[in-house]
Amino acid sequence: MQRLLAFIEHNIHIMLFVILQVVCGFLIFRLNPYQKATLTNSVASVTASSSQLAANVSGYIGLKEENLALQNKIAEQFRNESVSSLYYLADTFTVRDTSRQPLFDIVPAQVVYNTSNKAKNIFIINKGSDQGIKRNMGVISSQGIAGKVIATDNDYSTVMSLLNTDFNLIPNINDVEYYLPIDWENKEPNLLSLKRINKLEMITEGDVVKTGTSTVLFPRGITIGTIDKVHSKTTSQYCNLDIVTATDFRKLRYVYVIINNDQEDIEQLIQNAE
Amino acid sequence: MLVLVFQFLVLNHLGFSAFIIPQAFIVLLITLPLSLGKTTQVLIAFGLGIVADLFVATSGIHASASLWLIVLRIMILSRQDLKQQMVSNLPYNMKSVGVLPFLNTTLILVPLYHFYIFWIQNIGAIHWKNYFIASGASSILAITIIITIQYLSFRGENER
Repeated sequence: MQRLLAFIEHNIHIMLFVILQVVCGFLIFRLNPYQKATLTNSVASVTASSSQLAANVSGYIGLKEENLALQNKIAEQFRNESVSSLYYLADTFTVRDTSRQPLFDIVPAQVVYNTSNKAKNIFIINKGSDQGIKRNMGVISSQGIAGKVIATDNDYSTVMSLLNTDFNLIPNINDVEYYLPIDWENKEPNLLSLKRINKLEMITEGDVVKTGTSTVLFPRGITIGTIDKVHSKTTSQYCNLDIVTATDFRKLRYVYVIINNDQEDIEQLIQNAE
Repeated sequence: MLVLVFQFLVLNHLGFSAFIIPQAFIVLLITLPLSLGKTTQVLIAFGLGIVADLFVATSGIHASASLWLIVLRIMILSRQDLKQQMVSNLPYNMKSVGVLPFLNTTLILVPLYHFYIFWIQNIGAIHWKNYFIASGASSILAITIIITIQYLSFRGENER
């Protein structure tokens, strides 16, 4: 106690200084109109900045939940779409179907590993056989086609990227199926090519390339990319197309695995027919 | 008293420029007697600052600057050997402590005072070039006046 009193006695001028500075501060910012206005503006600015910061932080914290909710919403929407596309005839005909099971189902997944700088690119997702993922299932992003599953274990799956020289996909342009495979030529990480298209097909730059009915991996109408350039020679009847992928593979974070509920049955039928 | 009159009736109305206003009255704070207690010095600084504020309608600005000046003066003087002057109850001036220590103290305190008041006066919208010119020029002028006052009083006492 004595020490405290001695300390106060020794530093009383500092305490007095602080008290009087507070008084001065009050006088300066209350009685001088300019300083008062400056303080008011500064306080308003600090309040606005801190509110913005708080909003940003809370927004960032909620981002994960927001993402999951969004994924589920997309999955739900997709399920409904596939149902309606399968049963669109119901308006005209009586559809004899008791199961009402949609043709396609989807499983949201997160990309945990991804390459886009090799000739045979792959990515790995955090969903595996435990979640119903099997080999040869299509994988899409929110923008378009991403790849197909080539291997699975319990919790993870390896997906062959669309940017893989082994990946083949039959395109549908302007509602016409082209039985020519789209290739990735290992040139740029967003450029595919489609060769030997007849010039008479009237394909123009900007046309959207989608999936058609030549594959059971993906539903019809999923975007593959957009035609960036039509290379045609006057001496040839054919032209080559450069297609920019809809999916940005360098930013790939979330994908959806397409489960075709009748894939095995359909493939069996195709095999029998062939 | 003469210094205050000189400050508020002459220096504040010099009209060199809207920016250059030397605050020579702070010589009163710099030269406070060494025997005064620290608390008394702080109170005198506050009082003198309030008086200066009343004359130029800058509520609290000079009072705040004077408080900073006196606290810094206490710190600077604690590093100088002034035991003899304190025992003899002398004021802190050029004659009692010598030219160099006094000049040293003045060259630190006067610019700090001017830079502080110009900063508070223009807070929030400081034009840095004008700020440095005004604070620097006012400080140089104030130091010149203070040294001149000290020199004249020094010479006057010697002649007597």
